[in-house]
Amino acid sequence: MQARSEQDARIMVITGNAAAAYGAMLCRPDVVATYPITPQTEVIEKLFEFAASGELDAEMVPVEGENSAMNVVTAASMAGGRVFTATSSWGLAFMYDAMLAASGTRAPVVMVNVNRETPGIIAVSSGQQDMISTRDSGWIQLVAEDCQEILDQVLMAYRLAEDHDIQVPVMVNYDGFYLSYLAGKVEVPSKKRVSDFLAVLNEQPKRQILLPGQPLGCGTHGILQGFVELRYKHVQAMERAKAAFDAIDQEFASQFGRGYGGQIEEYRTGDADIVLVASGSMCGTIKTVVDRKREQGLPVGLVRLRMYRPFPSEKLTQVLKDRKAVGVVDRSVGFGIQGGPIYSEVCSLSAKFGGASVLSFIDGLANTDVTSDHVEQMLDLLSAAARGEPCPQVTWVCMEE
Amino acid sequence: MTEKKKKLSKVFDYLQYDDPYAGGLTFCAGCPLESLARFVPQVLGDDIVITGTPSCSAPVLLGQNIGTWHRMPYYGTLMTGAAANATGLARMYKRKGIKNTVVCFNGDGTASDIGFGNLSGAAERNEPFIYICYDNEGYMNTGIQRSSTTPAGARTTTSPVGRMTHGKDVTSKNLPLLMAMHKVPYAATATMSYLEDLAKKLLKAKEKKEEGFCYLHVFCPCPTGWGVPTDGSLDLCRMAVKTNFFPLWEAENGEIRFTREVNKPKPIGEYTKLIKKFEHLDEQGVARLQKDVDFNHSILMRLSGSCEQGGRHD
Amino acid sequence: MIEVRFHGRGGQGAVMASRIMANAFVRIGQYGASFPMFGFERRGAPVTAFGRFDANPVREKTQIYHPDIVVVLDPSQRFFEKVYSGLKSHAVLVLNAALPFETQPHENLETAGIVNADQISIEEVGRALPNTCMLGAFAATTGHLPLESLEAALEDYFQGSRLKANVRCLRRGYEEAAVGHF
Repeated sequence: MQARSEQDARIMVITGNAAAAYGAMLCRPDVVATYPITPQTEVIEKLFEFAASGELDAEMVPVEGENSAMNVVTAASMAGGRVFTATSSWGLAFMYDAMLAASGTRAPVVMVNVNRETPGIIAVSSGQQDMISTRDSGWIQLVAEDCQEILDQVLMAYRLAEDHDIQVPVMVNYDGFYLSYLAGKVEVPSKKRVSDFLAVLNEQPKRQILLPGQPLGCGTHGILQGFVELRYKHVQAMERAKAAFDAIDQEFASQFGRGYGGQIEEYRTGDADIVLVASGSMCGTIKTVVDRKREQGLPVGLVRLRMYRPFPSEKLTQVLKDRKAVGVVDRSVGFGIQGGPIYSEVCSLSAKFGGASVLSFIDGLANTDVTSDHVEQMLDLLSAAARGEPCPQVTWVCMEE
Repeated sequence: MTEKKKKLSKVFDYLQYDDPYAGGLTFCAGCPLESLARFVPQVLGDDIVITGTPSCSAPVLLGQNIGTWHRMPYYGTLMTGAAANATGLARMYKRKGIKNTVVCFNGDGTASDIGFGNLSGAAERNEPFIYICYDNEGYMNTGIQRSSTTPAGARTTTSPVGRMTHGKDVTSKNLPLLMAMHKVPYAATATMSYLEDLAKKLLKAKEKKEEGFCYLHVFCPCPTGWGVPTDGSLDLCRMAVKTNFFPLWEAENGEIRFTREVNKPKPIGEYTKLIKKFEHLDEQGVARLQKDVDFNHSILMRLSGSCEQGGRHD
Repeated sequence: MIEVRFHGRGGQGAVMASRIMANAFVRIGQYGASFPMFGFERRGAPVTAFGRFDANPVREKTQIYHPDIVVVLDPSQRFFEKVYSGLKSHAVLVLNAALPFETQPHENLETAGIVNADQISIEEVGRALPNTCMLGAFAATTGHLPLESLEAALEDYFQGSRLKANVRCLRRGYEEAAVGHF
């Protein structure tokens, strides 16, 4: 298909999975290690297709399980490589120890995680529980809303992970099924433009890598102060990632003409009394309902979380200041806490943003649709809360009576 | 006492590179793992990159935050993914055309149990590195628990001897044979009492890793965990070979060849009587172990073509 | 925005049809988004796919509960109630079938385009792969897409002799669709 200029980009109609694979391929990784799982499989099939056609020149490692996928890319990253892997759900759980090693050794791994419910109840369906389960793994976690943003976030993820000042692995999340298999219009930039975007990484001081003949200890034992210092540095790097992501997003906008707002996207929040906080593919539907409500004169808006870790506390505090009611939609549950996991974190900021009632909405579990009816229902409850009426703190919107 | 100047043994010819370790390592007294850890890099050379996991070798290979005891580049990683990490390193060096010898150095706990899946995966994909398993027949670093290479009847803290249990109640996994059956370019067994054999096998592995995956299974007694005197390890290594408990062989692409023929193997009782972990074994227990040994050996004999089909070798 | 729901069975190419349709809409400068909702992926299992097409970017990513158009690739599903559930008024049906309807299957259904896509694909491709033929029938029945953009879209999914065969299917679907009103 023709784009504005063939040299700049191609317009394609591709799935979210294919968009992730294109994003990875365009960044020219050295080593790709992968294992299939629904709904991620298409990502890796596409990458092997690219490798077969010569579009992707990388060491391809079809490992025997996700745990090895993460170990292979972490070690390859330690040896100086740019790396990529992809997973979902139990695959993510199966690589959890290796994820800790990747972040603990500050290996700038980039991975896409196609959000899917986690096992026990074997749900081959969408849900963010997998992402939530790895909250404290020390990874930077981003969440995309549509196919184009998946591709764009993969490019931004390399800038963030490999930034000399960050050096933390990055996970790009997107909803399984709703985005993994959604075919939509995607502008696929040329390799040249992507390497221009990533070029700044080449000018930065080189990170330490493990090479034959050069004594260096990686993954060493560290106890007491040795450990404390490294942990502190890791936590500080996570903090720096917030502003870095905002800046990368802005630069991306100037180079590719698409900006997303950095850590959060604000949609019609300016004068909104009522604000929903949400993430992922459901935000498209929420925006449509927000527009409809605005036409009816109801001052509502949406804050879309694009960065889950580090948590954009400062940005959220700022944007939620002095609202009448705030609703947080979680596509996951918080076991043993009141309300959803993201809700509980927003609540922890409520003393700072002041005033508003904050309500939790659990919706979209296991491929239950976050429909426009659901969103209306949430906004109705928030309107009632804004009027000072008593409302349930937690509502399982997706659960039928 | 007069000291005679002895001619150095031939094995020193194989030590072409400096010992990368400092003196005085924190191994248990009498542990042959120290000799192995020092021996390997002196034979393999200075393009070595070592990766290992929490294990008996970890405090030495990986260092502490007070500093390390060697000057090799190393990556201390997870038991679950040791071979996968070696894969990542080796693939990256291959891609960049960097001369390397990646050595994945692990105990039997990682190799035969928790990290077996990815070891098998790396072998099947024929990844270009050397995997060395030092087999001390148990999880020694956590304090002597059974592993799948612990022999039948042996006492460990998770296969104790009591009124109801009498040591490990099942036979051991033949890990080196399993690895050879991946038809990798090179797989071999070795032990510290036959150093020239070990050196030759290391060099062969270094050569063969240009073709792909190489596996070395090194029998490595644990004086602390097995209950043997601190000067007894090498005698055990010798006896393990002489009883056919631990035969020395090598396999190229799955074709097995003995590197040391044992013409008149000693009965296994000669070996077990040296080790406290077997001291509770009665005649029946020893006979059972003998059966294991004979069976394992007969498989090797058949696979190596050293006897008539189905025959037995004594 | 036009909302289209596809009903088929695994192996009939319903998902691919929805993607090719999105591709064709993008080729005429519009936006399209399609996605399938399957359970376990296997041949023969019922498959539902959704397509949304608009002059503006498509933001909704839910299933379609109130379609403007239903495309039924599986003749055996023509009498299934769920195929017609939630139809908007003045709805359109594009159906793979050998015979026309005797009675109106749903009161909101206004227009139907019927084509024997199984037969056509058997003749052109060699086996019953009704999807591209149904796209031709869709173009003829709804008028939402020019045949050329669908033809061009096919090139992203097929090559060589398969492309030629599918272009023939598409054209015959367009030409042979019997479009009528209830």
